[in-house]
Amino acid sequence: MAAHDHSATEHSSKRPHVHEGPKNHYLSFILSIVLTILAFVVVYAEIGKTFTILFIVLLAIIQVLFQLAFWMHMKDRGHTYAIVGIAFGTVIALTGVAAVVFWLWW
Amino acid sequence: MSHGELTGNLPAEPEKATLEGRNKVLGFWLFLGGETVLFGCLFATFIGLRNQIGDGPSAHELFNLGMVAVATFLLLTSSLTSVLAIQAMHRHQARTMVGWFIVTALLGLGFLGLEIYEFFEYVHEGHTFSTSAFSSSFYTLVGFHGGHVAFGILWITVLLLQFAKKGLTVVTAPKFYVFGLYWHFIDVVWVFIFTVVYLMGKVG
Repeated sequence: MAAHDHSATEHSSKRPHVHEGPKNHYLSFILSIVLTILAFVVVYAEIGKTFTILFIVLLAIIQVLFQLAFWMHMKDRGHTYAIVGIAFGTVIALTGVAAVVFWLWW
Repeated sequence: MSHGELTGNLPAEPEKATLEGRNKVLGFWLFLGGETVLFGCLFATFIGLRNQIGDGPSAHELFNLGMVAVATFLLLTSSLTSVLAIQAMHRHQARTMVGWFIVTALLGLGFLGLEIYEFFEYVHEGHTFSTSAFSSSFYTLVGFHGGHVAFGILWITVLLLQFAKKGLTVVTAPKFYVFGLYWHFIDVVWVFIFTVVYLMGKVG
């Protein structure tokens, strides 16, 4: 692991570094706006309560996954422990939310 | 593409150039895991109590979605400008980075101003912290997020002051990078607040 990190540093300092362009970030931005507007439209269309709630929560999850991957660089190498950290937090957070939702809908 | 503008011999990704920098980024991700748990608990509480309105106004009567949409747009744009700042940092364009971070802070201030105005308006409509279980959980959840935004603005202001003194180095670069992560996390939380609190409030 340490040797691997070392070689990665060597690599980036000796070869000209290829910079990632802003294209993915603009795409994430546009996607976020589109998903947000879509959520608004679905709410105002009054399609049905259960469907609307499940659908807008799904839209939020998609939007957040894109922001995590691109804006927070989670798709880049060397993020294994970052993923472990945030996933661990997410599991506990979702357990709390699921417990309350289950308790309400029982 | 002027390499070396204010920066001397910076490595390609200055935030990952030192062990300390890499540890800061890793530690910050673990902190964000803890923040996720904090907001998860606040969301769970809100979801459990959001229909317990007592004598107070309901979410459907209260919320002004137009203003919330503007706030969402401001925060989303500020998340984009902070990622543009980090990209400028990777290209060693320190001044461009500072410029984007200033825009980020200003958009954050705009968001915060809208939120304060919104809370002010709600209080005048009889929706105070102690009106109902719904109002308490609403102000706690949304207020905690607003507090994070306020802290973020203070944080980037201090970092920019430090930049004026020290410039962009392998010591300051991880701090900017970690601030960027924090700011995106705030936006991520807002996506769920926007969906669960405001849109679901309108749905009922």
